[in-house]
Amino acid sequence: MRLTGTKVIEVEALSRRYGSRLAVNEISFRVEPGEIVGFLGPNGAGKTTTLRMLTGYLAPTSGTIRIDGIDAVKNSIRARERLGYMPEGVPLYREMRVYEYLRHRGALKAVPNIAEAIDRSLDLAGVADARTRIVGQLSKGYRQRVGLAEALIADPPILILDEPTSGLDPNQVRHFRELVRSFSGKKTVLLSSHILSEVEAVCDRVIIIREGQKVADLAPGDTETSLEDIFAELTTAGSPEGAS
Amino acid sequence: MKGAWVVLKRELGAFFVSPLAYVVLTSWLIWNGVVFWVLTEFYSRNAVSSGASTPLSGFFGGSALFFIPLLVFVPVLTMRLVAGEKQSGTIETLLTAPVSEASVIFGKYGASLVMWCVLWIPTIIYAWIISQHGSVDWGATAASYFGIFCLGAYFMAIGLLMSVVAPTQIIAAVLSFVALGVLFTVGIGEFVLDGTAREVCAYLSMWGHMQSFSKGVVDTRYLVFDFSVAVLAVGLSVGALKARKIG
Repeated sequence: MRLTGTKVIEVEALSRRYGSRLAVNEISFRVEPGEIVGFLGPNGAGKTTTLRMLTGYLAPTSGTIRIDGIDAVKNSIRARERLGYMPEGVPLYREMRVYEYLRHRGALKAVPNIAEAIDRSLDLAGVADARTRIVGQLSKGYRQRVGLAEALIADPPILILDEPTSGLDPNQVRHFRELVRSFSGKKTVLLSSHILSEVEAVCDRVIIIREGQKVADLAPGDTETSLEDIFAELTTAGSPEGAS
Repeated sequence: MKGAWVVLKRELGAFFVSPLAYVVLTSWLIWNGVVFWVLTEFYSRNAVSSGASTPLSGFFGGSALFFIPLLVFVPVLTMRLVAGEKQSGTIETLLTAPVSEASVIFGKYGASLVMWCVLWIPTIIYAWIISQHGSVDWGATAASYFGIFCLGAYFMAIGLLMSVVAPTQIIAAVLSFVALGVLFTVGIGEFVLDGTAREVCAYLSMWGHMQSFSKGVVDTRYLVFDFSVAVLAVGLSVGALKARKIG
């Protein structure tokens, strides 16, 4: 694993338009190496669109993205090599067994020692007992953790997780939080969520977006006001302009 | 291109663990078994002395019975290639892995060609059956299979393109059916039209294509056509998959 001294994720004036609708509007932020950052916002705020642009699934309408110093728009494949991504809803090949799926994904990501990588990621995601089970027959919580194991398979320096705990039971949520906290200082994590307690529990810093614009960038411990109050104030008040 | 090989293996694995593969293969063999039986009966009752037309040349594109099932089976085989990933959402994990769109398309196209070959390989037994009771022109038979492969290369490329542009598998299947149906019908213009239009239709004709190959004549005009359509459709598939990012 390699963490560079530069910013690991650098986003400058990123915008994305769907037809006439501006889903993401001139968002800029940076994530330091080893930092765990929460990406907060109400439904439809542009969280998933932003993460999809970071991971190369969508092209930005304008703006720049640098992943580990690499221009993610021009050198998308090289940038993607640095990332582990767990999309919202965790789409998986349902007909495969868990280890077959991870072997396939490991091969796609050119992981050198796949058998070892599968064992490691299954253990980390707490899903080793489901190794030989068919993905389509797993509960939502298990599928979620298989998605996490997949994101970890290539031991990437950067993890991007979109709503990673939806569908997990309280014990699984706790395990997930401990796992993400254990990455602190080792991996850079950007996770989106609308569960404030989760973000407060695991993140070093929080970026709040609303209607496609960044309205806050703060550390949960920085302020006396609770994150819940800040979130409510920023995401229900009038125009997001200048609220940051 | 290692990514293409990984995609190809996954595609074939998914196909052969799905009930669809066995429904398709079984119905395909039942259909062709009946066609072969009817043709053999016909030729045994109406002795054809010229030697240019045999049960095998009839089987390999000598009748509409060859093309009708293809208009259905090709869309069924290709509809899930990319549209299936869109419907299940797995396209997002696939396209955020460090592989190019071209690798994804080449892998999927390669898998569709293997499926096409798997459909046809069992029919070799028909040639063997004929050889047990009469003579078989193995050169013409080999040319027929070569023609079928070339035809498949262009059919599958069209099916793949439709699967890339369609949002769902059903729409992909309908679009492929219409595209192949139009190409098939245009070929019939060879027997209806005159002059340049007739020439163009003859060049596009699947029927003419297979009639030529089934007699052992490997006509390079048809090869150029098959190859051109396949390259165009696969290239457009790569382009359409890239364009999805900005859509």
